[in-house]
Amino acid sequence: MRTILISTLMLGMLGAPATAQTIVASIAQDVRSTNPGVNRDDTTDGVVLHMVEGLVGYREDGSVGPLLAKSVEMSADGLTYTFPLRDGVTFHNGASLTAEDVLWNWARYMDPATEWRCLAEFDGRNGVKVEDISAPDPMTIVMRINKPNAVFLDALARTDCGMAGILHPDSLAADGSWDRPIGTGPYKFAAWKRGESFEMVAFDGYVSPPGDKPDGYVGAKTPRAEAIRLHVISDPETIKAGLLSGTLDLAAVASTDVPMFRSNTDFNVADSMDASKHTLSLQTADPLMSNVALRQAIAAAIDLPMLVAQVTNGMGQPNASAVFPQSMYYSDIQKQQFGHDPARVRDLLAEAGYKGEPITIIANKRPTTPSFETAVVAQAMMQAAGINAKIEVMEWATQLSRYFSGNYQMMSFSYSSRFDPALSFEQFSGPFDGKSGKVWHNPEALALIDEVKAVSDPARRQAIFDALHQMYLNDVPMIIYSNGLNDIVTSARLTGDVSWQSKLRLWEVTKQ
Amino acid sequence: MLKFALSRLAAAIPTLLIVSVSVFCLIRLIPGDPASLMLGDLADAASLADLRARLGLDEPIHVQFGIWIGNALTGDLGRSITSQQEVLPLLLARLAVSAEIVLIAVVLAAIVAVPLGMVAAWRQGGMIDLALVGTATLLLSIPAFWMGLLLLLLFVLHLGWLPLIGYVPIRQDFTQGLLYVILPVATLFLHEVGVILRMSRASTLEILRLDYILHARAKGLSEPAILWRHAFRNAFGPTWTLLGIILGNLLGGVAVIETVFAIPGLGRLLIEAIFARDYPVIQGCLLLIATMYVLVNLVVDLLYPLFDPRVTAQ
Amino acid sequence: MKDISPGALCGAVLTGGLLAVALLGAVWTPFDPMALNFAARLAAPDAVHWLGTDEFGRDVLSRLFAGATTSVWISFVTVALAVSAGTLIGVISGYFRGWTDRVLMMLNDALLAFPGILLALGLLAIFGANQYGIVLALGLGYTPTVVRIVRGTVLSLREREFIEASRVMGNSDTYTMLRHILPNCIAPLTVLATSMFGWVLLAESALSFLGLGVPPPEPTWGNMLASGRPFISQAVWLAIFPGLCISFTLLGVNLLGDALRDRLDPRMRR
Repeated sequence: MRTILISTLMLGMLGAPATAQTIVASIAQDVRSTNPGVNRDDTTDGVVLHMVEGLVGYREDGSVGPLLAKSVEMSADGLTYTFPLRDGVTFHNGASLTAEDVLWNWARYMDPATEWRCLAEFDGRNGVKVEDISAPDPMTIVMRINKPNAVFLDALARTDCGMAGILHPDSLAADGSWDRPIGTGPYKFAAWKRGESFEMVAFDGYVSPPGDKPDGYVGAKTPRAEAIRLHVISDPETIKAGLLSGTLDLAAVASTDVPMFRSNTDFNVADSMDASKHTLSLQTADPLMSNVALRQAIAAAIDLPMLVAQVTNGMGQPNASAVFPQSMYYSDIQKQQFGHDPARVRDLLAEAGYKGEPITIIANKRPTTPSFETAVVAQAMMQAAGINAKIEVMEWATQLSRYFSGNYQMMSFSYSSRFDPALSFEQFSGPFDGKSGKVWHNPEALALIDEVKAVSDPARRQAIFDALHQMYLNDVPMIIYSNGLNDIVTSARLTGDVSWQSKLRLWEVTKQ
Repeated sequence: MLKFALSRLAAAIPTLLIVSVSVFCLIRLIPGDPASLMLGDLADAASLADLRARLGLDEPIHVQFGIWIGNALTGDLGRSITSQQEVLPLLLARLAVSAEIVLIAVVLAAIVAVPLGMVAAWRQGGMIDLALVGTATLLLSIPAFWMGLLLLLLFVLHLGWLPLIGYVPIRQDFTQGLLYVILPVATLFLHEVGVILRMSRASTLEILRLDYILHARAKGLSEPAILWRHAFRNAFGPTWTLLGIILGNLLGGVAVIETVFAIPGLGRLLIEAIFARDYPVIQGCLLLIATMYVLVNLVVDLLYPLFDPRVTAQ
Repeated sequence: MKDISPGALCGAVLTGGLLAVALLGAVWTPFDPMALNFAARLAAPDAVHWLGTDEFGRDVLSRLFAGATTSVWISFVTVALAVSAGTLIGVISGYFRGWTDRVLMMLNDALLAFPGILLALGLLAIFGANQYGIVLALGLGYTPTVVRIVRGTVLSLREREFIEASRVMGNSDTYTMLRHILPNCIAPLTVLATSMFGWVLLAESALSFLGLGVPPPEPTWGNMLASGRPFISQAVWLAIFPGLCISFTLLGVNLLGDALRDRLDPRMRR
């Protein structure tokens, strides 16, 4: 009760209801917390990264660029990274950003009591250890790691790590607990009515990184609206009504509703692609599915373009690679897909010694992924090719626990975004242990993935990724069929790109 | 009366204990784990074990229960796993929202439907009866998620009379608050009218067949007088019990309606907590719902003799 | 009341029709209710697909037929389960009162306070995502309501003269319960059971809406109604036809229930 009262008072202090300059959007679930990289999900990251920024951030092509840093310099031995800070950057409370603040933040993130989810990426447990961090002068940060690593900067930029966002120490309450984010981002925290709405206001003192337009999380980042208000609405039909009635300025809608909004001049539709992977995972440790010929038969039975057209209402792009299409590593080889070949299915099934054993596809009905639709279409295609496919629908948490235990044959499953292909492959590859949920257990592939994580040279990395993709096409540990696609409807009153990688990105967006 | 109430409250303690224990066990039997849900596909075995330990999920179940019940007795229901909020204030805030909608809708529905049900019973088999029963059945057969959507499309989108989102509690701002609860209340009201009308009609039919009604008719009392003096009071007893059950159930939250109208009520909280396996919130919700259920039914039983003089509370 | 009333006739025709469709759906449907047809997605009703097709190009009429079988089965078994268990407990509890009543009511209240969705989730997890899980969950969920209604009726019956008379005459408790109490519970039970038949159809639909429910692609009217909701502006027939089916079923079953009650109620024979 008290929290409600307090947040209401805060809302009261903001004064009258938002003006026309407030961008009103909907989010399907409430923000988890405002503490970057600690208690979060994808929606939370998207919101929090309006308020806090890290030293580096992703560019549109998945590479990493300087954000609070002016530039990033790596020493010849690949162990020392120097980050000179940008001049004139201030926190929301007016304090200037100095190297001292970065040191304070790093100490906070590396303290296990902070519960930063990416601690293991930097304390040596997952390979990389930041051995030293120092500030040779008030505007420079130097970090030294234990061994060369190609994905160190990527880990610093990761959105689920909260970009290792730099906060003012006053973000914490007097007792050291989390209070509210005082960052350097284009928008400031204003109010949060839990379960209902979240409000941010423009930060007048924001100094944008160089650039004439946004580039991922770097480039131009000036706040153009006075405020942003996000409403928590989970029913897609209510969201649709909100858009049509003018209550909402933007929202993600189901692909089936896109034609209606496209034909309406009051709205624009942006197809926002992201690096998440929609897949049909095959558990290669399952007795039946360990048969590679059977897995190849399943891949040959599925008409990938048709499946994607069906589940995305004709709007998605088929992609069978673990590398996402906007990546700099998306070569011609990565464009290769499993061949749809009904005639070959019969030979492969015979070779596999398949005698009509049922194969169960597990799916869920979360509105955020096309899991169920994919299972229905895949089942029909497999049955047409003579494979006895069944569907079992379960609730997401149950499916996830089955996924981790490896106790399944086939699963319509989506993976969250990984920009670096090495991390994308690693997401589903590893030895089978009955608790990590890895599907690709081929030791040769695992060795290649380990190798590429230490390689920085783009050409050599490309060669390894291409080899991995061809091994994957032959092994069929899973069938990646497309990447995430969000159809975001915006009111014609808005100009600018409202989202990137299916997360809200409302800087450089104006409202008339 | 007081003794009855006290003994009923004492009898409720084992009920609450049964609910607590079975919820505690059931949610841990259901597959799915809050730690792996929070980490998602990033989870590796080490960080999963870390998080489980931090949430106290690695203890044996009876130890976990002992800790929880010990804290619960001091009024501390723990913190939500997903939002880190304290559970008790969270529950009470959400309950206030649900209760506002449910109480208004059920009271209005009872006021409308109880008399209509009696009229239908009085005119049993006639056109009025058929029309009322038909309407009630139609109202019953439209799921809340459809009724809510239809009302929303009509009043928000086409007529533009009502706002869509941005719930305000009525006690904070009466007019604004009222505007936002009209649609959820109407959705629930229309459904409950169907339920209560049918029940009230059935109870009245029972009574109308009893001897003393025949006596009253034989004595030449006018039909409205019979209906009012004899039928109403007696027929209201069973309907009253039903109202208690309805209220008890609905106060647990009207998840579907809360979802459609984006209202932060108890039902949606529970559903989301179940999906997220947010154990402390689920346990707290169930304890609160069970307590309310017991209290509502106690009040119903205490008041029952007022409507059915043949039964004494004891 | 000697002749069949129009309401009863209407109820009998509707319920008979429902049963016929449910039986027919078990053996024959115009098209395969599960067959996908990508070329005919969301096709409006026409000469081939009389009631149109859904988002996967499946024939709506065939799915309604097949759905009738599943829905009727689920509703019937659930109601039978809840009514038989609930009546037994309710009569015992209301008749003996005292400690029996208190213990039974304690358990009953515990079950009543349990949200159906949690029960459904738990049982579906244990029994697998199939119809039996739904039936058990809903059956168990509705039992306490039956118990309370029956107990309430018994409590007020107990004070009546004829029950007192039966006891004074030295009849055993079992005899009194079977001969005098139970028949008097039939009327409220018929109303409750017929209402419940509809509740089950709707509860299953609400579970589908909230993301649980009978695992599709197996059609039930409830999950068809829920999955047609996103298409309200483009393919309104997806929801209208299952919705109409549920409405008419409810109407038919309820009318028939009322008529049956009039026939079965012992006091009507006086």
